[in-house]
Amino acid sequence: MAGVTQPKDRSHFILPDLGEGLDEAELIKWRVSVGDEIKEHETLAEMETDKALVEVPSPWTGTVSELCGSAGDMIKVGAVLVRYGSGGSGSEVTDVAEVETAADAGSADEDAGTVVGSVSGELTVSDRFARKTEDDQAGEQVRGKALATPAVRRIARELGVDINLIAGSGRGGRVTASDVHGFSQNGASGASGPTSTPDSGFTPQAIAIPADLPPVDEGNVVETIPFRGVRRKIAEALDRSVKTAVHFTVVDEADVTQLDAKRKEYAKVLGAKMSMLPFVMSAICKALRSHPSLNAIVDDAKSQILRKDAVNLGCAVDTDHGLMVPVIHGANALSIGQLGQAVGELARGCKDRSIERERLAGGTFTISNVGSYGGMFATPIINYPEVAILAVGRAKEKVLAENGRMFVGTVMPLSLSCDHRVVDGAEGARFLNTVVGLLENPSELID
Amino acid sequence: MPITKALETHIDHISILDEHGSFDEKLGKDLIPDEDLLKLYQHMVVCRKLDEIAFKLQRSGRMGTFPQNMGQEATSLGAAYMLEDTDWMVTCYRENCGLFWRGLPMEKILQHWMGDERGNQIDRKHYCTPIAVPIGTQMLHATGLAWGAKYRGESQIACTFFGDGATSEGDFHEAMNFAANLDIPVIFFCQNNQWAISVPTSIQCSAPTVAQRGMAYGVECLQCDGNDIFAVAWCMKKAIESARDHNRPIFIEAVTYRLGDHTTADDARRYRDDEEVALWQSRDPLKRMRAFLEAKGMWNDAQQTELDEHAEATVTAAVERAEGIETPSRDDIFNWTFADIPEQIAKQRDTMRTTSLGQDPSQIASEQATTKA
Repeated sequence: MAGVTQPKDRSHFILPDLGEGLDEAELIKWRVSVGDEIKEHETLAEMETDKALVEVPSPWTGTVSELCGSAGDMIKVGAVLVRYGSGGSGSEVTDVAEVETAADAGSADEDAGTVVGSVSGELTVSDRFARKTEDDQAGEQVRGKALATPAVRRIARELGVDINLIAGSGRGGRVTASDVHGFSQNGASGASGPTSTPDSGFTPQAIAIPADLPPVDEGNVVETIPFRGVRRKIAEALDRSVKTAVHFTVVDEADVTQLDAKRKEYAKVLGAKMSMLPFVMSAICKALRSHPSLNAIVDDAKSQILRKDAVNLGCAVDTDHGLMVPVIHGANALSIGQLGQAVGELARGCKDRSIERERLAGGTFTISNVGSYGGMFATPIINYPEVAILAVGRAKEKVLAENGRMFVGTVMPLSLSCDHRVVDGAEGARFLNTVVGLLENPSELID
Repeated sequence: MPITKALETHIDHISILDEHGSFDEKLGKDLIPDEDLLKLYQHMVVCRKLDEIAFKLQRSGRMGTFPQNMGQEATSLGAAYMLEDTDWMVTCYRENCGLFWRGLPMEKILQHWMGDERGNQIDRKHYCTPIAVPIGTQMLHATGLAWGAKYRGESQIACTFFGDGATSEGDFHEAMNFAANLDIPVIFFCQNNQWAISVPTSIQCSAPTVAQRGMAYGVECLQCDGNDIFAVAWCMKKAIESARDHNRPIFIEAVTYRLGDHTTADDARRYRDDEEVALWQSRDPLKRMRAFLEAKGMWNDAQQTELDEHAEATVTAAVERAEGIETPSRDDIFNWTFADIPEQIAKQRDTMRTTSLGQDPSQIASEQATTKA
């Protein structure tokens, strides 16, 4: 039942899953007013889900003290829909704090078990990801066949309205039931956006869709993949990063010939395979010690930069269900062997989805080992609110030159992206020089 | 050689009490005693009330998905009424009325759809198998149960219920072939409610009747008006004799109509015409039964008011009992599938509470409670 538990004191009614696996519903019309006495099973409101128009009944008898939302609002499953006041069957007005807690518990339940990981732990959605507002839609052209659920099409038919003439205010330009009602009442001039109430308690999750999207060529499609779930979370996090942090990228190469020899020695001693990654991780930790401005996060809400003490090193991991960034907390205190072990464990945890939530959050710097798949340089996207990310390319033999002499060495390409708001180009380049220096002189790297 | 007829046959359609109130005295004589008629009608009204309230329970978050039985009460009830108490009823999920006739407590049905599998743990004394939600699986179970009874030399038979859609499943054909060729005393009772969710019978069955699908297996086939409890009883009487006395399976197609949505997750208005629904509302088995009883002077408005109140009280009490049952532990999903829990399942159990959104607060509470205990 969507994990929604109604409060025992009957102080408020939390919107349940009205169908099977639905996570929101649009409020079409209230059927009660504040102060009304309502009996168990009597209808509170008419709502529209992706599947149907439904009547939502009251689960108990009581007096309505607050209606949380207005017609046209999308209400999340788990959000409070109606509050009940005194005068009902034994229910008292509850302490506000208590009510908030219960509502929070409900919304935390709503997504439980469906999302396994996120690029950055924080999932609160900033304004830029919010559902488009009335202003955004001004000038949006009505064209072609309207997007709408069958339930809404039915309403339009019943009202004798041509649905294709209505400007949709729903997700992706979808025509909603309230659009149809508005259009029917006011004619074409009534084709307005949603009447959104800022404090209605619902958090829009969709990425804002620009009003002037180019037309979509729907021919020659072999598969249509819904853009949601982990993929959507990744997209939201990356979108936020690119739109917030000011990216610049600096690249360099490290001659890791000696280090590669050391790595092979290590592997022999340990009797296990060992990649270059833990060495690079160790180099990053050491370099951050002398360049602390890169081991930081930005708190944009409070306009401050938080420099961090320990290095919590995020490692981008490619999995079947998308990109995940598990974090090695306190990586600066670990030996190269321990780093290798930790990264292996995290990668396994991501792949079988057993990884704990705490291990997907709290990073201060991220490394992306893109070279294990191929490629040389990259322009990595910062794992916002961190301020820097290093992409490691594939190391391979190359002809090098020094003091007029040519020789063959193993070269590792490195690409560092920084948030220019926090890190200047010179500082980024100096940090990268330090990393390269450490990788080229294993005796400095390996204590 | 001239062309000869390899087979010439027909299928009987049985109707005794039609929607206009005309009653076939010859076929209907002594089929159901008057005092039983009142009990049967009462069952149908209570079952209809459950549909109404269960629907609201789902919409207000008090229950999961629920399939309403509305419009099909006479089919399963007529069948259950004619069977012996020790004959197996092997049902899918639209036979509540028949199950209640067998004495199955209403709260078991509610508990099941509230998401507690223990609701499907049915006491052996009712001779009903658990509600089969996957389409068509139960027909093979019924065939097996009946075969077992025959093997042990018992007079018990089995009656299995399924919809029109299920007759397009492989399991149906396997069960029919098995039962026919091995002389197994099983009754195949098809509730043809015209719709397999949103697919009309005409799209998934090119033959003019569903009943003739049984003919291919050499099984006797009957079709009846499924909203006419007398017609259902007439067919069941014949089927029970055939199965019990001659070990011959029989196929009954009861033509009825699902007046409600497929389940609470469906909106039938999207794919059905209002006219079609209105036509079948006029053929409602409850309306028909009430008119019949009133015409016989056995029923009046005062009795109806009393019955409506009784129905509401009965269902409300059952809801209270069902909601009063302690919620099962989520660990049960893992704990009771294998005798010894495999490592991977144990890992799933231990990590299910962890998501990127943090721990479920109710789980933390229950975990702490368990630790303290």
